[in-house]
Amino acid sequence: MTDLAHSATRRRASFGGWLIADRQRVQTVVTLFVLVLMVVVFGLINGRFFTVTNFQNLARNTAPLIISACAMTAVMVARGLDLSVGSVLAASSVVAASLAVKGVPLPLAFLGGLVFGGLIGFANGWIIVRMRVSPIIVTLGSLNIARGIAYLITPSAILVGLPPRWSDIGTSNLGPFPVPILIALAVVAVYAWISRRTKFGKHIYAVGGNEEAARLSGISVDRTLIILYVLSGVMAALAGIVLSTRVGSGDPNIGIGFELAVIAAVIIGGTSLSGGEGRILGTVIGAVIIGTLSNGLNLAGVEPFWQYVAQGMVLIAAVVLDRRVNEQVMRLGARS
Amino acid sequence: MTPAAEPLAATPLLRVAGLSKQYPGVRALNEVDFDLVPGEVHCLIGENGAGKSTLVKIIAGAQKPDRGTIEVRGQKTEIQSPRHAKDLGLAFIFQELSVVNGLTVAENVVLGSEPGSAGRFDKAAAVATTRQALAGIGFDSLDPNARVGTLSTAEKQAVMIAKALCANADVIVMDEPTSPLEEQEVQKLFAVIATLKAQGKGIIYVSHKMREIETIGDRVTVFKDGARVATLPRSAISPRELIRLMVGRDLGDIFPAKARTPGRAILEVRGLSGARIHDVDLTVRAGEIVGVAGLVGAGRTELLRSIFGADPVAQGEIRVDGERLHANAVRAAIRAGLGLVPEERRAQGIVPVLSVFDNVLLPWNEFPASRRFKGTPDAVASRAIDSMSVKTPSLAQRISALSGGNQQKVVVGKWLTMNTRLLLLDEPTRGVDVGAKREIYRIIDDLAKDGLAILLVSSELSEVIGLSDRIVVLNGGRVVGELPGNASEAAVVELSMIHGLGASTGSEA
Repeated sequence: MTDLAHSATRRRASFGGWLIADRQRVQTVVTLFVLVLMVVVFGLINGRFFTVTNFQNLARNTAPLIISACAMTAVMVARGLDLSVGSVLAASSVVAASLAVKGVPLPLAFLGGLVFGGLIGFANGWIIVRMRVSPIIVTLGSLNIARGIAYLITPSAILVGLPPRWSDIGTSNLGPFPVPILIALAVVAVYAWISRRTKFGKHIYAVGGNEEAARLSGISVDRTLIILYVLSGVMAALAGIVLSTRVGSGDPNIGIGFELAVIAAVIIGGTSLSGGEGRILGTVIGAVIIGTLSNGLNLAGVEPFWQYVAQGMVLIAAVVLDRRVNEQVMRLGARS
Repeated sequence: MTPAAEPLAATPLLRVAGLSKQYPGVRALNEVDFDLVPGEVHCLIGENGAGKSTLVKIIAGAQKPDRGTIEVRGQKTEIQSPRHAKDLGLAFIFQELSVVNGLTVAENVVLGSEPGSAGRFDKAAAVATTRQALAGIGFDSLDPNARVGTLSTAEKQAVMIAKALCANADVIVMDEPTSPLEEQEVQKLFAVIATLKAQGKGIIYVSHKMREIETIGDRVTVFKDGARVATLPRSAISPRELIRLMVGRDLGDIFPAKARTPGRAILEVRGLSGARIHDVDLTVRAGEIVGVAGLVGAGRTELLRSIFGADPVAQGEIRVDGERLHANAVRAAIRAGLGLVPEERRAQGIVPVLSVFDNVLLPWNEFPASRRFKGTPDAVASRAIDSMSVKTPSLAQRISALSGGNQQKVVVGKWLTMNTRLLLLDEPTRGVDVGAKREIYRIIDDLAKDGLAILLVSSELSEVIGLSDRIVVLNGGRVVGELPGNASEAAVVELSMIHGLGASTGSEA
């Protein structure tokens, strides 16, 4: 314990030293700054931004993004990528909805959706590691396949005849907190715990940071990757259930472009595209930035099409800003 | 170094017998016998492709032998996988250090066998184990919580050794462990190896460097063409004999005689300063080889790159043949007759997917006729390849299919297609076997004799001394002295280490 205390005081000795000890910290501080700035600006533009109802809305709308982005962070830290999440979200929610329409009890219907997502994730992971195909190609394929399945289940129409309690998860509150954000926070907690406090978490970073080192250390790289893709599929399905119970339907058109928002959130949050680096906390901030952006622009009455432009610009700006700040901080660190 | 007791009595930690491995078209390993006893350093030596790496890969569980037996501590076994090798107590420290930069020292040391129950990672236990292992090899000062990405190569190696100890390995295989290290770091590694020997570990030490083998080897096994040529005891180790066994002929002195006469000054550098170099003055004459010595981080590579315009120059003047060279512009440098052979051949020297022809003509294609050697592309490429005596089936061969030595000759050769007057050579023989090294030395000497000015950087001191007419010593980015080409290694080391280490290392304050 004395050791821990010792290193803590030594680190606290200088904020700069603490900051540059870990590249990720700089990133987190920068993104947090961007988020605060956005909140302040939106608050000034529209008085309705700072209301409980709006924050509840924001939380409800951002929850699916946070859920899927946590899983994507782990996949990307292990140097993978999952482009299929948007389609898996749609297909899983359609699976769950069609089961519910057929009279299957709701919990089982939801479970069916999650299992479906997991199966797609397993197929992704299995083909990537066993057939040695690049994750971009495999998940680009399953993006189309899952979207196709969604339309096949509900041919070009929105499912009707859902049981009345279908919307419970997406629309109810626990105290002042919308249930979707509570689910998202639970996912965040689990992923943060996995990545920091478990052996599996260390293996994720090892696989992404130096796959050969991981293999030589006796880690099963294939198994690690497959598990991560399965989890990504399950989390996309969970995001789909949260989203479709909020809108109250089983719509095969939902989640188009969702994968790009998820990847943007992960990258804004500081996860390296080349693997080995990344934090759940950063991703959460990244997801909230994207959520806040569309919420704030909506309130400000900006046309939806402009929101795409804004989202793209924020993604690029966040990465550029991070790189600049990092260079500066490192330079100062080297000089001091 | 403590001379070990004659390793005879104990059960071998590892014994292989009749080991053979055939790859398509190549007999990589042919009836090889080898053993390792507790408390010995057993060196493996041989040219690239002689079979050392294949043997190591089989022991590591990365390859399966076609025939032959492996015994670990007297138990016959077949090594199935890297995991199995680890469980058998075999550890490997490869040149490409298998560390994960994003994890901490402790996380790396216990990677794959983390402490903690039911999937939980027990950080305190990991830190304690790591601290103990590091203390055992004299690296107490290394913080188990530090990120491995922030460590030096020597420290990363220590992490790998600590990892081997934590896995209870008693056979530790080191593949060229000193090539990325500084002289004093090498000494520290040798001290660690002595500690490991005292603990009864067996060490298989793969190296090209004769001096190291003389220093720490208890036995040496020489490989040639996939077969074991000889295993010599410590008393019989001599560099000349080893080279004769490896190459199958007596190479004599591997450095050409220094019979060159320097002419007019080609390169004049005055007060050059950049990110890692400070106020450097330097002159290289036609027909002269000037060596640059100094520790890793002394600014050697940065000096070459700054002259070539590849690294930013803040101040100073570079003149080529009396004419002032525009700084910070690679194209201007090439136009003025400069050529750089960079440190990392694969990453910076060649374009692996292109042919030998396309690689050798890379600069030639980019510049007007006035700046390059006259002739048709075919004639120019053939001439460069011939004068470098590159061994390739044809010019259309993909360069990645050539050996390291031949790739390097192509990298040098591409500057012979231009009107090159000054060659900047950065580690020209890194990762090249002894036979090819000797050839590259001869070529460098020939080029200088033909009137080229050559500025040479190498971390192998013997190379700098063996080739150079003058040696410039860098320390902390500054020139701290100049020695004649016949200086002793001790003199060079003294100059590069003793001078006060200036501002460059003071990041603590």
